[in-house]
Amino acid sequence: MEAGEDEGFVEKIIEVHGIRKSFKKRKTKEIITAVNDVSFDVHRGEVLGLLGPNGAGKTSTIKMICGLLQADEGSIHINGLDIQKRRLKALKHISAVLEGNRNLYWRLTVRENLEYFAGNRGLSRKEVAAQIEKLLSQFHLKDKENELVNGLSRGMQQKLAIAVALLANTEVILLDEPTLGLDVEISYELREILKTIVKEEKRTIIISSHDMPVVQELCDRTIIINKGTVVVDERVENLLKLFETRAYSIKLGDALSEAQQLKLQRKFPLSTYKVGTHQTTVEVNLEHSEDIYELFDIFKEEGTQVESIDRITIDFEQVFMEIVKGEKNYAMA
Amino acid sequence: MQWLNLLNANIRKEYIELKRYLPNTIALLLTFYIIFLAAFFGIMFVGDPASFEVNVQYSIISVAFWSLTMMTMNFIGFAIVTEAMRGTLEQLYMSPLGVWKIMLTRIIAQFILQMVFMVILLFAAMLTSGQWLNLNPMTTLPIILITMVSMTGVSFMIAGLAIIVKQIQAFLQIFQFVLMALVFIPISVAPFLAFAPFVKGVDMVRTIMIENITLTQIPWADYSFLIANSIVYLTLGLVVFRSCEKVAMKKGLLGQY
Repeated sequence: MEAGEDEGFVEKIIEVHGIRKSFKKRKTKEIITAVNDVSFDVHRGEVLGLLGPNGAGKTSTIKMICGLLQADEGSIHINGLDIQKRRLKALKHISAVLEGNRNLYWRLTVRENLEYFAGNRGLSRKEVAAQIEKLLSQFHLKDKENELVNGLSRGMQQKLAIAVALLANTEVILLDEPTLGLDVEISYELREILKTIVKEEKRTIIISSHDMPVVQELCDRTIIINKGTVVVDERVENLLKLFETRAYSIKLGDALSEAQQLKLQRKFPLSTYKVGTHQTTVEVNLEHSEDIYELFDIFKEEGTQVESIDRITIDFEQVFMEIVKGEKNYAMA
Repeated sequence: MQWLNLLNANIRKEYIELKRYLPNTIALLLTFYIIFLAAFFGIMFVGDPASFEVNVQYSIISVAFWSLTMMTMNFIGFAIVTEAMRGTLEQLYMSPLGVWKIMLTRIIAQFILQMVFMVILLFAAMLTSGQWLNLNPMTTLPIILITMVSMTGVSFMIAGLAIIVKQIQAFLQIFQFVLMALVFIPISVAPFLAFAPFVKGVDMVRTIMIENITLTQIPWADYSFLIANSIVYLTLGLVVFRSCEKVAMKKGLLGQY
């Protein structure tokens, strides 16, 4: 059973199977593999976070899902339609924000942009009039509706770009870096709007982002891509739980001997050992719950006194960093 | 209905942008008028006085058509480059109607708007020269519309090229002089030019306007040739455009500039 199926998301709306994409560098003719055998499914109504460091292959994956980039191998189905063979039919089910505020016509007003993009999907101004009113008020753009886009702040432009994507009324929405370059206040506002949309509209959303609070608050499930391959495909809460339960901060009454420190490093290579003026602290990530006994055996050998054990609360950013830096450890777990 | 909504949206967008860039548009119109004046005074001072009237009428129509062909055909190449620079090209590719349809409606929109400018230019030139042409839309418009089909085909070829190469401004600048040659050189001097796009149509319209003849006075062979020429160029244009799109999607060029 895949992540997602156990939470009531039964029907698959996006099926990505074994996609690969390589590019040839113009000058050196070197072949760069951007996406290497990536497979995952997204279920109807699910909100999926697509994470990864820069150059990991997230944008290439999103562009292949949109049919803007052709995969060298593999297949992508949107609502059962092969995006590479029946692209236009499949696009009836997807809308996207790909380059944020750059996706807009800066010499058109807010309302003109909304109406123009609706027209490009074959919708009349009359058909979308009510929906435009709703989006303008939902995104707090009503008082700016007749202003040219180039006169708006970046945050407002970003909000408009998302409103344009929502106006299409598609089942699937792809948001590539929706909060990139926004200040904390606007980023928070956008997150709140997206939360309402997720809650009320039950659309299938894929969010590619470096903004961890966005992923933590909005996504049901997350896929972490690194060097073109899927490193993690797991529900957000499970990931947090997994790392949270095994991360401990242990305060000791005495410093560890050299032999103890050596054993600690050998057995728990990712652990940190800090000697302070009044106390010594060991922070450790335990791969298996029974590892705690081995840790205590190290302390017991020389009678080191354990003063307290605290579970380290972990946020999604730390989880992401742990996985990307030490993906082998996660795979073993 | 979807087609109509698409056409409506694109005519509206082109009109709004034209209004917002009005100084540019007026400057362009003035440029063509100045080119006409140069041709007019050239004919007046160094041309053959015996054929003065015909030569002036010929240059009025040629300058007006040059402005129409250039503005319509180069427009789409510039549009693709601008969209790629702005970052909106990929967003256009998210339309389930297909970019070729969006581009076609934009060409139609641009053609309609440029026709208005062409009429303004024609009247300005006729007023200046005192030479009045037969502008009956019932006789000229059908031929202009068929001619426009071949222009659309070439526009699609340019659009395809722009999707892959992006930096085609230099090519478009050279292309405007190629268009000038195609519009100005009479078919009687270079009959093979009839196989080029739109040349036959321009020649037919010129004959109607100068010789004041009706549609029925033009041989059916000319109509057949014009229609066949337009169909061939439109088909070729669409094939080239779709092939370029495929290459761009394979190489990931849509979002690049």
